[in-house]
Amino acid sequence: MSKTIVSVRGFRKRYGETLAVKGISFEVREGEIFALLGPNGSGKTSTLESLEGLRHPDGGSLSIAGIDPSRQVRKLQGIIGVQLQTSALPAAMTVDEAMNFFSSYHGVAARNDLAERLGLEEKRHTQYVNLSVGQQKRLAFIIAIAHEPQVLFLDEPTAGLDVRSRTDLHVLIGDLRQKGTTVILATHDMAEAQKLADRAAILLRGEIAAMGSPRQLTAAGNRLTRISVGTENGSLLGRAIEVPGGVAKGCENGYALFVSESPGTAVSAILDWIERAGDTLCDLRVERPTLEERFLEITSENSRKGAEV
Amino acid sequence: MNAFVHHFAYEFKTGIRDRSQLLMLYLFPLIFFVLTGSLMTSLNPGFKQTMIPGMLLLAFMSSTLLSLPNLLVNARESGVFRSYRINGVPSASILGIPVMATGVHMAVIGTITSVAGVRLYGGVPPAHVAGFLTASLLSYAAFAAMGALIGVAAGNNTASILISQIIFIPSILLGGIMVPSSALPVHLRRVSLLLPATHGMQIFNGLAMGGADRILLSIGVLVASATLNSLLAGLLFEWDSRASRTGRKAYAALIGISPYLVAALIGTR
Repeated sequence: MSKTIVSVRGFRKRYGETLAVKGISFEVREGEIFALLGPNGSGKTSTLESLEGLRHPDGGSLSIAGIDPSRQVRKLQGIIGVQLQTSALPAAMTVDEAMNFFSSYHGVAARNDLAERLGLEEKRHTQYVNLSVGQQKRLAFIIAIAHEPQVLFLDEPTAGLDVRSRTDLHVLIGDLRQKGTTVILATHDMAEAQKLADRAAILLRGEIAAMGSPRQLTAAGNRLTRISVGTENGSLLGRAIEVPGGVAKGCENGYALFVSESPGTAVSAILDWIERAGDTLCDLRVERPTLEERFLEITSENSRKGAEV
Repeated sequence: MNAFVHHFAYEFKTGIRDRSQLLMLYLFPLIFFVLTGSLMTSLNPGFKQTMIPGMLLLAFMSSTLLSLPNLLVNARESGVFRSYRINGVPSASILGIPVMATGVHMAVIGTITSVAGVRLYGGVPPAHVAGFLTASLLSYAAFAAMGALIGVAAGNNTASILISQIIFIPSILLGGIMVPSSALPVHLRRVSLLLPATHGMQIFNGLAMGGADRILLSIGVLVASATLNSLLAGLLFEWDSRASRTGRKAYAALIGISPYLVAALIGTR
């Protein structure tokens, strides 16, 4: 079991009269990708920025590799890499200058290989202001990882990126995990969190509403596995078929729909039924509940509770 | 050292690459130089005596009061300082390196206006080169510290432009750049002591042009101003946008005018 590298205990953050983060606690282990999920205003960025040393906590304790982010900022900067949600560099700074500039402050050589890998090779002499949003994001990512930080903070790293850039970035994040870099990721993109994260915490109104691996989070929800079946003769359509371990839910776009707690048993029974009916299977889709569905479930539960209070 | 070199090189190149900086560092002072050189030397031959230090002070004011504060405000408000902070760029470098890079541009401008002023318009060259360099350094330091403080204290560009213009325009009119201080009405002479340009011209006249005596007060004012305003800029420096905050502590920047208030109270012209 790898050791804890990031520790957050009873962290509180206040803005005027508003308590934005209400005493949350979590730990991140070395080499783990940990996702912070939540709607706008849930406290993700406050938590992230306090860990990055950009904000001072109003209560609780934060630690990154034994460093207190609010007191040992200089020491912290050497071991963390940060891609801010809205990164900004001087408008007239070229890609090359930016890589050299920030690398020199970290005391390392500029990573031209990363520029090549992330498709910025041809833009090396282009000023920041003339880069697309996606290119600016990729440059910010290169700057964040150039000094090979122990802990990498990514705040909405793929927002505004095209599919290709997004995939490239996911591969790079995966490579970083292989090398043992700890990644703390704040995102609105549940598919991204489900794909990349080892564990995730869902923040709502400054509190952790749920935490665990994406599989644990989705398993804890009320959603059942959804089974969609298409057959050649449509023998399943319009019939109330009884399937062990599953419940028929009607049809949609020529597919018979079922939901199930034990999809293995249900699928087997459906296939037997089709064979007995002399029909042929055309398409079968088994969709586990997604993190997005679980997230929506948690947020709506929370809204209801909020309304009741 | 490597970081300093990269930072300095970037800031220096930006002085030419960025159009607004190019305008304030080179074009505006040079156009002003050509216009005043052509007009003032024929209208007022006495202008030739103060032309070279006057044009240099104008370039200092253009670069430090009209350009530097906006750069700082823009960078802070757009989040550039945050990017700097997370990557370990110290605030002293953020404030100090652009000032140094601009200083090199000012050396270029100073050389152009000094040589061209003598050759084209019959401007009087400095009698003491060492004194000229000392006066240049001292004046630039005072203006640069003031520009940095305005950039740090102002909440937005409108405020920074307003504050800069409050200093810049009276400096042109009353600071001895266009009209000799001795030609000002008595009550305006005391008012002119509130302006850094007045003390700059006084020092240039005393140390470089073989003119005015009693320059100790002006030297003291500019040294105090440069030191005090640098310290205040460092203390009041903020990494984050001030858009959503009141920035009350920025009013502490008003302490920066105290050397000039003292000069106006005790000084005689």
